[in-house]
Amino acid sequence: MSDGKLRPEDDGRDFASAAWSIPSYLLAGMILYGGAGMLLSRWTGVVAFTPIGLILGVALAVYLVYRKYGS
Amino acid sequence: MNTLTVLASGASGASEDVFTPPGLELFDYPPLIAGVSWFTKPVLLALLSTLIVVIFCWSAFAKPKLVPRGVQNVGEMGYMFVRDQVARPFLGKDADRWMGLLLSIFFMVWIWNLMGVIPIIQFPVASHIAFPIVLAISIYVLKIYLGIKHQGPIGYFKNMMFPPGLPKPIYVLLAPIEFLSNLIIAPFTHAVRLFANMFAGHIILAFFSLVGFWFVFEHLTPLGVGLGVVGVVMTIAMTAFEMFIQFLQAFLFAMLAAMYIGNSLHADH
Repeated sequence: MSDGKLRPEDDGRDFASAAWSIPSYLLAGMILYGGAGMLLSRWTGVVAFTPIGLILGVALAVYLVYRKYGS
Repeated sequence: MNTLTVLASGASGASEDVFTPPGLELFDYPPLIAGVSWFTKPVLLALLSTLIVVIFCWSAFAKPKLVPRGVQNVGEMGYMFVRDQVARPFLGKDADRWMGLLLSIFFMVWIWNLMGVIPIIQFPVASHIAFPIVLAISIYVLKIYLGIKHQGPIGYFKNMMFPPGLPKPIYVLLAPIEFLSNLIIAPFTHAVRLFANMFAGHIILAFFSLVGFWFVFEHLTPLGVGLGVVGVVMTIAMTAFEMFIQFLQAFLFAMLAAMYIGNSLHADH
């Protein structure tokens, strides 16, 4: 927060914004890297790229959430 | 009850004796005035809701007394709720400046949703996705405008896509996730969350009331009557539950709006 003071609500704010942002991050990770994996699968014909992309996307999103909101 | 009769007879269709659960035809309304194709029941209800919110706020806040009475009392309860639960946790000292918008959104969405359980009217406006989309897009445009205004055109996107404290190379992989999540998924889920809850709730209510109506009134048989009673009981229980969900979704919609506005006013940490 810009005003530098710690208010009692700040905890609640962090928790709520984490709780409502995490699903978007996970979805974004899956769509982005799962989609990239799917395109790669179509292009190369190697089916395995789709699940690899999906898992990479989720892993990256979890890492992002952990670094952003984890204490 | 006439809506149910129409529903029951319409849903049964060709074969009279078969119970057919209600489907998407619940959401199709013909134009109220012939020739004016956009003016349907949901549109009328949306206009009515606007009118209700305007009249309510006018009568509650136009001539405030020091000791609140009547409508002002109810209005101030709503105001306090939105201020303490929605605005202050996310906007802090800026909360009061945004109360007009947030209070309007909260009451508006709540009245939209309440239309789903008011007898005879019985249609939640937000179960047509166009209505929540318009609200979500308004908030989205406001969010980007405020972000650019308060953090600068480059600073806003930099703060959004490059959260501090991560090792440099990983930004290549994470910045697209941030971008997609904040600018595409977030507004989408903002609208869809409200729409899907109201849509599903309306179908559930219609289904249980149709079960009750069909098995108790239309087709009373010794075997079916138990099911019909279950349908009636579930209709009552689900109506109560639906009223809770309606309030919750209105609260969440306003809360997420406050969160997006707050994140645009100040960069994340």
